[in-house]
Amino acid sequence: MSFDPNKEDYQRLGLRYARTLDPSDPFATARAFATFSRRFSQSRDSLPQSDGDRAFHLVTKATDLIDYQLPFAPDEECGPIMDEAARVLEEAIDLDPSCHDAVRMRAAADYGSFEGYYQYLSKGADAVRQDCVARHDEALANGHDEGRVLEAELAMMPYVRWMSTLAAKALICGHYTRCLSICLDLIGDDPSDPSDVRFTGALACAKLEDASALDRLGSLSHAAARHDDSEDGWLLLARIALAHKSHDLELARELVSRCLSAYPHAGITLSRQDELPDGVFARLAVPAFSEDELIIAVSEATVVLEEGRDSSDLGSLGSWIAHEPAVVASCEQDPESSALVSLDTGRN
Amino acid sequence: MDARGELVRRCALKRLASIGPLSKEGFSELLSAVAADPRSFADDAEEQAFLEIEQTLEKERAATAGDDLLDDDEYQRERRRRFGRIATSCDRALALDPTCIDARLLSCLVADQEPDATLGLLLELDHDVADQHGAIVTSEGEDAWDDVFLRPRLRVRAAISRTCLDTARYRMAASSCLSLIDASPTDALGARLTAALALARLEDETGFDELDARFLRQGNAWSHLARVLLLFKLDRPAAARRALRGFDSLCTGGAYALLRPTYVETYLPDRPQSKPGSFEEVTLCVHEADPIVVDTPDFIPWASEQPGFAESAGRFADRLGYDM
Repeated sequence: MSFDPNKEDYQRLGLRYARTLDPSDPFATARAFATFSRRFSQSRDSLPQSDGDRAFHLVTKATDLIDYQLPFAPDEECGPIMDEAARVLEEAIDLDPSCHDAVRMRAAADYGSFEGYYQYLSKGADAVRQDCVARHDEALANGHDEGRVLEAELAMMPYVRWMSTLAAKALICGHYTRCLSICLDLIGDDPSDPSDVRFTGALACAKLEDASALDRLGSLSHAAARHDDSEDGWLLLARIALAHKSHDLELARELVSRCLSAYPHAGITLSRQDELPDGVFARLAVPAFSEDELIIAVSEATVVLEEGRDSSDLGSLGSWIAHEPAVVASCEQDPESSALVSLDTGRN
Repeated sequence: MDARGELVRRCALKRLASIGPLSKEGFSELLSAVAADPRSFADDAEEQAFLEIEQTLEKERAATAGDDLLDDDEYQRERRRRFGRIATSCDRALALDPTCIDARLLSCLVADQEPDATLGLLLELDHDVADQHGAIVTSEGEDAWDDVFLRPRLRVRAAISRTCLDTARYRMAASSCLSLIDASPTDALGARLTAALALARLEDETGFDELDARFLRQGNAWSHLARVLLLFKLDRPAAARRALRGFDSLCTGGAYALLRPTYVETYLPDRPQSKPGSFEEVTLCVHEADPIVVDTPDFIPWASEQPGFAESAGRFADRLGYDM
């Protein structure tokens, strides 16, 4: 579920700002909008905003700290970054105790185990849904302008993110049926699948070895598919897993080569199989079909790749993919890979 | 594997075929005679090959008695030597009878490759055997296990299903077990045990329940542990807690085995016999379930937090003088 919190922050304030303008004076409105972007980035406090808007803005700050700075920070900076993020989230919750994103993100740090966080999210889900649905309905009922549909959509997003996070944790914890049912419910609510939860669902189908559920997931979320005829990394990895699990190695090989041609530097990504921390706000926002997207897909697929007995740490499928001749060849032929090798050697 | 028993029966049945019908008493006398000296009844190359395997398995089984006294390095060296001796014996058996299924099966297993590669070897073997002998066909009410000459093929299937479990191929493991149970409803090879774990991992509650009912709900360590895993995975903690208590109370040292899993040697060629409800049984079960337990990362922490579970493990360890 890739969400850009800055975009949402911008949309929230834009909607509120639009409400303050006089619709009977189109010229003044046009002038006002011309200055909105500048005011948003340079003098945000001069714009009208609620405590909820201020809290969400703090969520964007915390997201930047935890999801985009922390993974790349040197060790000595990690502690201060986490402290700052915790402080910012605390401030957000003080401003708006029903800022579900802030509450959810703060809780992520409170639980030492995946299961504990999963249980927490699971218990809170109904209340978050009720609150978001109430706001959604209120936006639709009270708004008279064009913005009301967007406002209603935005009102649901904290719930969508809550449930997508729950699905991701269910996958990691081994609650695969639950994971798949959350994904199907979310897609049933909104087939455009704003959180891309179908990616998580595809991995649950692989874990459940349920090819027909994978097809069902695909047909339900067809509105969200990004290209007519190309498959994303998650779907490809799920289908590779299903083929490997039914020992159809020829099909698995064909799917691996599709993955190699769909993503840049896929050979390196499929050999390394790095596991990264999940985004705490949401899945990191990266361009579709980019190298980074496959890195994230492979990282999320760790639960699928590393299962089974294998003397390497890669697991049964992980080891098979890493040693697959097409992957090895693609890795060796990639100029980026020699840079990586020399980096590794340098480290040793 | 009761190689000795099978050898005696095979030789006796072949001798019976050559000498003509015998009364029940006559056949039991023949069995005793073969048991006393199987070598002189192993008339053809097939039985000589089987004899070779039987003798090696007996010898190597006796040789494992001192393994507990070896340190890790010594054990690994001894293990390599042992696997080497078995591989050589398999070669001798295959020189006598290139179609000896048990020799081929053992060769695959002592090649000691990654489970993924072992599965490839086993599937190839199964394919070759099916090409040569056709499918295993049993009529209604028949059990393939009763035909001693079919048992090697059933062992290959059981090894395939266990290796599927080891390589995270749970659907394949379950279907291979269920077809094995169809061919041999008495399930001497314990396919139901592997199936229980696979169905739990797939969160297939209906399949698990059907399997349990098919064996008249006579639980065993595998079904007890599989039930706990299934309920935990389906996020039904209260029921999982009850199942966990059941697992610990029905399997001697169950809590200890789960919290302190130990190394279990490769099955050569099938799961060693153990007494129902014994610590040996639950040790094998926990070892087989390991990939599934690991796949559910907070399962062990959850189990050890359940009231009385860790204490039960501690009491068992104290009683037997094991480390906790």
